[in-house]
Amino acid sequence: MTETVTFYIDGQAYQVAKGTNLVDAAKMHDIDIPVFCYHPKLKPVGMCRMCLVELGSLSVNRETGEVERDEHGEPVFRWFPRLQTACTQVVTDGLAVRTTTEAVVQGRNSILEFLLTSHPLDCPVCDKGGECPLQNLTMGYGPGESRFLIDDKIRLDKHVPLGELIYLDRERCIQCARCTRFCDEIVGDDVLAFHERGRRLQIVTISDPPFDTKFSGNTTDICPVGALTTADFRFGARPWELQEEATICPHCPVGCNLSAGTRLDRDAGGKKIIKRIMPRQNEWVNEIWICDKGRFGHHHTRAEGRLEQPMLKQNGAWVPIDWPAAYDLVAAKLRQYGDSLGVLAGPSLSNEDLWELRKLAGLVASEPKLGVWPAAMTGGDLVAQVGVGSGTMLRAVGPETAILVIASDFEEEAPIWWLQVKQAADRGAAVVVANARPTKLDRYARAVVRYRYGEAVSVLNGFAAQALKDKSLTGKLSESRVAGLSQLRAALKGVKPAFGDAGRMLLSAENLIIFAGGEGLSVAQHRELMQAAANLLILTGRAGRANSGLVAVWPGANMQGAYDLGYSAEATQALLDTPPRMWIIGAANPVAEDARAARAITGAEFVVATSLFMTPTSEAADLVLPRQSFAEREGTFTNGMRRVQRFYTVQGIIGDSLPDWKIFAAIGERLNGPKARISAGAVMKDITAHVPAYAQASYPRLAQVERQFPLVGGDDLYYGGTAYFNLSGLGLAIPPVAEDGSAQLEVRPVTVDAPASTDADLSLIPVRVLYDRDVLFEPSRLMHHRVPPPSVELNQADAERLGIADGDRVAVEGDGYQITATARVDGRAPAGYALLPVRLSSTPAPTTPAACTVRKIGE
Amino acid sequence: MLAEKYADRIEKIFSKYPDKRSAIMDLLYLAQEEYGWLSGDALEEVAALVDVDPTQAHSIAGFYTMYSEKPKGKYWFQVCTDLPCALRGADDFYQALCEYLGVEDGGTTEDGLFTVEQVMCLAACDRAPMMQCNFHYHENLDLDKVKALVEQLRQEAAAAQGE
Repeated sequence: MTETVTFYIDGQAYQVAKGTNLVDAAKMHDIDIPVFCYHPKLKPVGMCRMCLVELGSLSVNRETGEVERDEHGEPVFRWFPRLQTACTQVVTDGLAVRTTTEAVVQGRNSILEFLLTSHPLDCPVCDKGGECPLQNLTMGYGPGESRFLIDDKIRLDKHVPLGELIYLDRERCIQCARCTRFCDEIVGDDVLAFHERGRRLQIVTISDPPFDTKFSGNTTDICPVGALTTADFRFGARPWELQEEATICPHCPVGCNLSAGTRLDRDAGGKKIIKRIMPRQNEWVNEIWICDKGRFGHHHTRAEGRLEQPMLKQNGAWVPIDWPAAYDLVAAKLRQYGDSLGVLAGPSLSNEDLWELRKLAGLVASEPKLGVWPAAMTGGDLVAQVGVGSGTMLRAVGPETAILVIASDFEEEAPIWWLQVKQAADRGAAVVVANARPTKLDRYARAVVRYRYGEAVSVLNGFAAQALKDKSLTGKLSESRVAGLSQLRAALKGVKPAFGDAGRMLLSAENLIIFAGGEGLSVAQHRELMQAAANLLILTGRAGRANSGLVAVWPGANMQGAYDLGYSAEATQALLDTPPRMWIIGAANPVAEDARAARAITGAEFVVATSLFMTPTSEAADLVLPRQSFAEREGTFTNGMRRVQRFYTVQGIIGDSLPDWKIFAAIGERLNGPKARISAGAVMKDITAHVPAYAQASYPRLAQVERQFPLVGGDDLYYGGTAYFNLSGLGLAIPPVAEDGSAQLEVRPVTVDAPASTDADLSLIPVRVLYDRDVLFEPSRLMHHRVPPPSVELNQADAERLGIADGDRVAVEGDGYQITATARVDGRAPAGYALLPVRLSSTPAPTTPAACTVRKIGE
Repeated sequence: MLAEKYADRIEKIFSKYPDKRSAIMDLLYLAQEEYGWLSGDALEEVAALVDVDPTQAHSIAGFYTMYSEKPKGKYWFQVCTDLPCALRGADDFYQALCEYLGVEDGGTTEDGLFTVEQVMCLAACDRAPMMQCNFHYHENLDLDKVKALVEQLRQEAAAAQGE
């Protein structure tokens, strides 16, 4: 247990953990000490002086060492002569604070009067009006009128773009430095700073691109005034008009909790639409942060071109049909082709959708092939075995925890995890990054391990061999609990422990979290990587513990859910090897993303796709069914750490679109399947009954909340910022099998396939970038300037050999694909490899490593 | 480029500090010495040397008054006009200097040679009027002395140009 200390606020004694900041300590006991510059997630700086209080300490008799008491027996305090800043004070035993005396009231009043001398008081036209800490604190503590001479007011620029996403109003800024400190301390992108000093102090950025960080939107949440506003929301609506709805980000496996500010909007024909996306607090997941993709990537929910009716291809032309006809047609085709059916589930299908799709396929095939898309990573079943244990909280891990990030460009693939791992490193966690090329996390890693693409497994095997040498780590393992242990021991005997320093760091910490991406690996190789990670965790006894375990950095929001419900990338591979005659494709765009999949799908006899838009995949289908986006419906996603989280209906429905689960269930009814459920919650009830891991994940359970610290929103706007208080559920973390002490675990020796040598010039490595042209992101036009043009990264030596310079147009070709792109020679690509960011063009490219040639083409 | 031209000096500067980032102020002085002022390009160059975002270099250059983010004359006269210096006639001296050079307060001569500027205390009150010229002190000044200095600097500049 942490040590507690007793301190006094206005004469009342309170207890709090030793070392707590005074403002936080008061807040924990629901006492407000008003602040502007202080933020519970940032280090204190004592700049704004709003938190002035009287500080004192217990008066102790020097001879006896006893606390002095007055005639009533109350303790006597000695007070410092002047007001002090509470935010720079750590609570110690016997500390006393007075927050309501005349001096304190006057101090606050004067600070507010000073702050308001240069503030424009344009609240009626300010986006922050209505949720503004300065407004609130002025009402609470400030003077009713100003003595300031308006002629002496400093007039500064308004509408200053800090990049394309965030606007700065220089007049409104009160120089609290929350934004600069957020960028510096939390993100590590030191792209905002103060310029000049005194009354001329101003926020500036000259980074390129301006305000160059993936987390810029968060500065608007913690800005205590209307100085920073987003391009997405400024002048969009007043905060008090908005109805906040709880939802989950559909873009990546982190599963950030979001709050969608919605209203009935004139521009949308009176429909309820999303006006802005804000973070919703979940200290287990995203804390109070979200990345810019999550914040600004919601425009697909109401973009032009959303499908509104089922569309049937007849003689090459699209004809709208009604839903019953569509259901009948699919049912008839399933009867016809049921024995040769392929299912592809996209990364943003909810668990309910996946469940109904699986049930539907099961009606016509005894062992339906349930594939996921993108099929670049696998091993969700291993995550279910040795995933992170109950009570895992990234924001709390420190020196007792080691974190290995392997085969992932972490910031691009899971920005908020990146942010949390970066901060864990700042707190002393041993972060080790293993990848074939440099990534941004290297900067914060205690050790960096380089391997050749395809040989990631050898890194993990090296660590495992090192662990085997340490009997204190592996001595207690028994063959009865861990199947395959002796084979693994035997296989690792021949492996030389490599990367000694990194291994020691990872193995000496109490906990070990492994984030495994899929960069540079085929599906089969990725299976081996995941198995090697599971081996390491089981061997070292790290499996099934809090803040320990395996996490897959999936290319999508709900791929872990797909694995938990029986889908896999191996099934996709099998389907592509022997293409079926009929496909059901749910919310995926394989035709645009992968040349091989495109061939397999276009060659089929009947393809039905659910989609938001007419994508290349929809174009290749025979029947396209309009699905609802995450905003129009309820459902659940399982994030990469296996936390099942609910999202709620946020906005009005577009056209006749339906949620995927309803579509699949209705088709099932026509095949004599069970009657369709009436709600997503009822579907989840079926899942809880049939999928043991999800037994507890009922909708009421997922909606449970608990008191979280720091407090945000509402009356605590001034404290934690405008992130939303979570009223709608923190979700449920599914414990891994390994957490059950009696459960049987399995290890299996894995070997490295030597990379196949080919005659081709280069090996093409698909890499993921955050800002891509995915169907869920492309419609967010304000982000387009951040989406890079199609490019391919080459090593300097390869580029010289091929006569290619940075910026040249090149053709990248291989078996069955050809892409034109801009060459980048920036020192990131290892020799012999061409890195191809995926989902940047609509020309299909391989989604797993492949041979390629690259040549320069004319302008 | 600073990195090539002053490789040794930069190496020496780095050796004084526990990490690269701490060397930024010394390097900003070096850049200012080389280019006369800190342009956006110069800030970027220094930021790249110490591996921070250019914004941070910009911020530091903005905070400290001895960095200049505006073009300056070849010779930068900083005259202290704080109270103790003013009591010894620094104010009048500054006026006279401006008139002699034909520039406004803070201005640069047409030939681009001289910039004049009033600054806060330079810690030489007892020898006022005084000024810095490119960070070298000139003390106990009067107009004649400064005229001589200006003349000498003009000749130096002309000679340098002739080379």
